[in-house]
Amino acid sequence: MKNKKTHQLLIVLFLIVNCSINAQDLLEKLNQEFPDTPVYEIATFKTTRIGLGHSIETRKKGALQISLYNRYWNFPTPRSERFLADKVSSRYGLEYAFSDNFTAGLGYTNFDEISDGFLKYRLLKQQKNNKKRYVSITLVQGFSHRTNLANKDQFAFTSQALIARKINRDFSLQISPTFIHKQATLADIDPKSQFAIGFGGRHKIGGHTAIVSEYYYVANPLKSIDTYNAFMVGLNWEVGDLMVQLQVTNARNFAEDTFITQTAHNFNFKDPNLHFGFNVTFLLHTNKKK
Amino acid sequence: MNKILTPFLVFFLLTSFTEDKNQFIARQGQVSFFSYASMENIEAKNNQVLSILDLKNKKIAISMLMRAFVFKKDLMYEHFNESYVESDIYPKATFEGDIINFDASLKEQTKMIKGKLTIHGITKEIEIKTTIEKKENKYVLFGEANVFVKDFDIKIPPILASNIAQMITIKFRFQYQSYEE
Repeated sequence: MKNKKTHQLLIVLFLIVNCSINAQDLLEKLNQEFPDTPVYEIATFKTTRIGLGHSIETRKKGALQISLYNRYWNFPTPRSERFLADKVSSRYGLEYAFSDNFTAGLGYTNFDEISDGFLKYRLLKQQKNNKKRYVSITLVQGFSHRTNLANKDQFAFTSQALIARKINRDFSLQISPTFIHKQATLADIDPKSQFAIGFGGRHKIGGHTAIVSEYYYVANPLKSIDTYNAFMVGLNWEVGDLMVQLQVTNARNFAEDTFITQTAHNFNFKDPNLHFGFNVTFLLHTNKKK
Repeated sequence: MNKILTPFLVFFLLTSFTEDKNQFIARQGQVSFFSYASMENIEAKNNQVLSILDLKNKKIAISMLMRAFVFKKDLMYEHFNESYVESDIYPKATFEGDIINFDASLKEQTKMIKGKLTIHGITKEIEIKTTIEKKENKYVLFGEANVFVKDFDIKIPPILASNIAQMITIKFRFQYQSYEE
C-alpha cells in the first residue's frame, strides 16, 4: 500500500517536471543565452559642455563639432540704449574626434581676444551593474593665448579631471577638480597657480530637454581684483544634430582659465551682472559607418 | 504495479530529455530596420539577435538587445536608446509566435508566423510572411515586416516628425543550428 502511494507521487512529480520542461518559455530560454558583455552608460550628458565648462562626453570617431557660444549683457540703465543687448561676447569653436575617446578642439573669442584649445581624453566609462566602474572619468588639458597691452604673448594652462556619474536615467552629476597655471598675472600679488573645483548637474525634463547647472569654486582667488565664483543655470535642448543651450550666468568669458578665475561679476539679475547665454552646436559626421 | 509504471516513467524521462533535439538556435541573427522619411533615411543593424526555432511545437522566439543596434550616426544611437525606445527601462525587444502549417521536412517554404511582438514594453499581435529554408541540418529563416511607430507608444517631437517615418520596415535573417553544436 505504501509502495503504491510512493509510485503515484512519483508519477505526478514526473508529469509536473516533464510539463514544465516542455512548456519552458522559449523566451526564458533565450534570456540565458545572452552573452555577458559590459554595458556602458550612454549620454551622462548630451552635450560636450554642461554649460560653461566641459562635460565628460566626447563625440565618436570622425565627428566634427561646430559651435557658436554667445553671451549677452546690458550696461546699467542710464547707459543702456540698445534694443536687445548692449554687449555680446562670442566664441567660435571647432572640435574633432580623432577616436571615440580622444577629441581636440580650438576656439576664438572676439570679446577678450583669447584663442583657446584643448585635448580631451576619456579615461574611464561608467558601466551598468558594475560596482567597480562606478563613475566616468575624462581628462582635459586646455591652453589659451592672448596678447597683453604691451603686445606680449601670454599663455595659460588648465588641467581638469572630470568625474561624473549618471545616477539615474534623468539625473547626472559631475565634479571637476581644476588646476590653472598662468604665465603672467594681472598684478604681482596674484597667484600664478590656482586651484578650483567645479560642480555640475543635469536633470532631464523630457526626452530632448534638460535643466543644467554649474558652479566653480576657486580655492585661492585673485587678490588684485574682486572676483566671484562662476555660476550658470540653463536649459539644454537637442534635436537631431543640433544642440541649443540657453542659460543665465555671471561668466562673461569662455576660456576656462578666465571664466573660472576672473569672473568680475556676482550672479544676480542686475545689469551688468546678468548674462544671457545662447550656445548653438552642430554636429557633422565625417566618418559614416557602413 | 511496478511493472506497469516503469515503462511510463522511462517514457516520460526520455521525452523530457529529447526536447533539445527539436529545438534549433540562432545566436547571430540579423535584424535591421529602415525609416524612409522626407528629411532623412535612417538605418540600423543588429547582428547579435537570439532566436529559438521549435520544430515540434512549430514555435519561434526572438529576443534582442536594443543597445546592440548600430547606426550610421552616433547621435542617432543615443537618441534611439535615450529618447525613443528608452532602452534603460525596456532593454529588449522580443517576438514569440507560431509558424502556421510549418513542415520541418520541406526544403523551402513560405509560411505565415503569427505572434506577439514586444517593443518599448508594448505588445502587439502581428503576422509576418517568412521564408524558411532547410540546408542539411540547418534552417534559415528570413523575411520582413512593417510596424507603425505609434503602435508602440514611441513619442517623436513634432519638430522631428519629418525626419522619422511613421512606418518602419524591419528585415530579419536567422540561421539556426541544433542546440548541441
